[in-house]
Amino acid sequence: MNIAQNIKTPSMEGFERSEYSVAGTKTVVYSIGSGDPVVFLHGGATFPGFEFARSWARERKVIIPHHPGFGESGDDDKINSVHDYVLHYLELFDLLELDRFDLAGHSFGAWIALEFAVEHAHRLKKLILAGPTGLVVKEHPAPDFFKIRAADLPGYLTADPAVARSLYPAEPDVDFLVLAYRETTSLSRVCWDKPQGNRKIGRWLHRVSVPTLLVWGEHDRFCPIAAAAAWEGLLPNARLEVIPGAGHLVFEEAPAAVDTAQRFLAE
Amino acid sequence: MPILPDTEFLVAHYMPYTELPAEEADRESLWVDIPNSLYDPKKGHDLYGRYFHEAVLAEKLGFDGICINEHHATASSMMPVPSLIAATIFAQTSKLKVCVMGTPPNMDSPNRLAETYAMLDVMSGGRLEIAIPLGTPMEYWVNPVAPATARKRHREAIDIILKAWTSREATSHDGEFYHYKYLNVWPRPYQDPHPPIFIVGSGSLETVDLAVEYGFGYASTFSPIAKQLQALDYFRKKTTEAGRAVQPNMFPLTVMTYVAETDEQALAEFEEHAKYYFDFLLRPGEFANLPGYIALDELRKRGGHVLPKSHGKFDWDDLQDFYRVAVGSAETVTNKIEKWSEEVGSSRIIFEVHTGDMPHWKLAKNMTLLAEKVVPELKRRRDAAQTPAQAAE
Repeated sequence: MNIAQNIKTPSMEGFERSEYSVAGTKTVVYSIGSGDPVVFLHGGATFPGFEFARSWARERKVIIPHHPGFGESGDDDKINSVHDYVLHYLELFDLLELDRFDLAGHSFGAWIALEFAVEHAHRLKKLILAGPTGLVVKEHPAPDFFKIRAADLPGYLTADPAVARSLYPAEPDVDFLVLAYRETTSLSRVCWDKPQGNRKIGRWLHRVSVPTLLVWGEHDRFCPIAAAAAWEGLLPNARLEVIPGAGHLVFEEAPAAVDTAQRFLAE
Repeated sequence: MPILPDTEFLVAHYMPYTELPAEEADRESLWVDIPNSLYDPKKGHDLYGRYFHEAVLAEKLGFDGICINEHHATASSMMPVPSLIAATIFAQTSKLKVCVMGTPPNMDSPNRLAETYAMLDVMSGGRLEIAIPLGTPMEYWVNPVAPATARKRHREAIDIILKAWTSREATSHDGEFYHYKYLNVWPRPYQDPHPPIFIVGSGSLETVDLAVEYGFGYASTFSPIAKQLQALDYFRKKTTEAGRAVQPNMFPLTVMTYVAETDEQALAEFEEHAKYYFDFLLRPGEFANLPGYIALDELRKRGGHVLPKSHGKFDWDDLQDFYRVAVGSAETVTNKIEKWSEEVGSSRIIFEVHTGDMPHWKLAKNMTLLAEKVVPELKRRRDAAQTPAQAAE
């Protein structure tokens, strides 16, 4: 039984679901729309859903894999670094026959996208990093995700905590608790002892030559906006779009963020 | 049926810090993030003195051993390094065994832990026993071990310790988490090949499997009787399947005990300290919710919570009905122990003699009545039940 499939929200209605085996690990890929592909790598939890992808899908084919250890994909405890995820996606993108494509990521997914871009920039056309983690900015540290109390989490996820709360199940739900525990466990394999990111990745960001959009909620408490200048400074071809009034789950909280990313993809 | 021949009687003492200001009663957690400004080292010094005195008293009263444990950053324990406690008790006693139950081997360097225990065993002339825990979820917030790797590291660390203790020449280890070019404990343990080993568990079958695989005993933590019996059945079945016999000392019976003149008086003297212990000292706040600590099917069984929601809540009826708690007159306690030791088939009985903020006089009274009334009565009943033929053997 797959716990994620018991969870009725977010709705994946209208998305196409397919399964791949990547180095023996079941990998579920959702897609919607048609046109030039854009791959979206989700953050450290799948429960916020992918409603924004319906807008992007008006012009593009949006491809959303679930990371190993998250959502409906299988578990693989050999994956314990972002580099392991990069290798996983290198193989998945080959299986999907994606040659050159646009890559977007949110939060932990942006970290994976960033390291993928450092290593395989030639595979990418454009890069979108939303509410990104991964780069250590000593002067503007992020809170340690694992230390945030469950009750305080909605206030970290969105500027208006009610927005995040509306993404949770209405009633106490064991499936939801088990899925959240599993996904947090998977995240902990990678960054329990490095919640600030990869201390060494900063010295390689000059390799990310593709046009890059940083989408950042003005009130992001996970990834403080004060760190954005360091990202912008290290990425050679990046533009920062600050989304007024939004928090970390920028695509769930602010339609403007969805539009901004969509316009960037269309440029 | 009376207790088994060669039954050993041990006490357990968890050495809590009991001098917290009363106004801290509302803290969400007394574990992990408790400010050590609340710890008064002078009061702590006095408590250590008192607790060591109580360990010595256990020997004087004729108990076979004392069990101590390890917890970190919690008011419920002053034993983050239990080997130091064991060393001190050994130095003040001559016969008492000390069961260190114990250091999570993945939180120390495994080789160093093997050395520490070997030293204790040699210094004490073979009085050391150890029980190996994974550690509570709370310990992982204050130790540099990613919890998702805890169980694998735990297992590899046990392998290293055993290899270090059983090899009679320098060896080596090359594993997933640890690499030793040379593995070579000196001194080696006094007991040959090593001290008795138990695995500590709260009933999860994964942990029972570990004990069976290594041929160790299985020491239940404070967990419901039904869960302990389930673990015991599974332990018996698996040990038999492995072609070995379950020895009666492999599955200790641990009982929270308080003895007084009458049942009423015992409860009256005991209750406030149990309340203090469960309601206050054990409060883990949100730190029980540790990612990677338990398997998902186990989490599902527990309704999505890592520790039962009752952890850190006192419910006397619940304790009486579902846990091994013997509080009452010597006769009441004797009857309960006799019944439970038969139920478990154990020849190793551990009395948790100190609960919460129990003052010295109550602990001394409790241990004295156990030693002078309960244990002799258990032995008398056993001897009386022996047939003349058995007695002649």
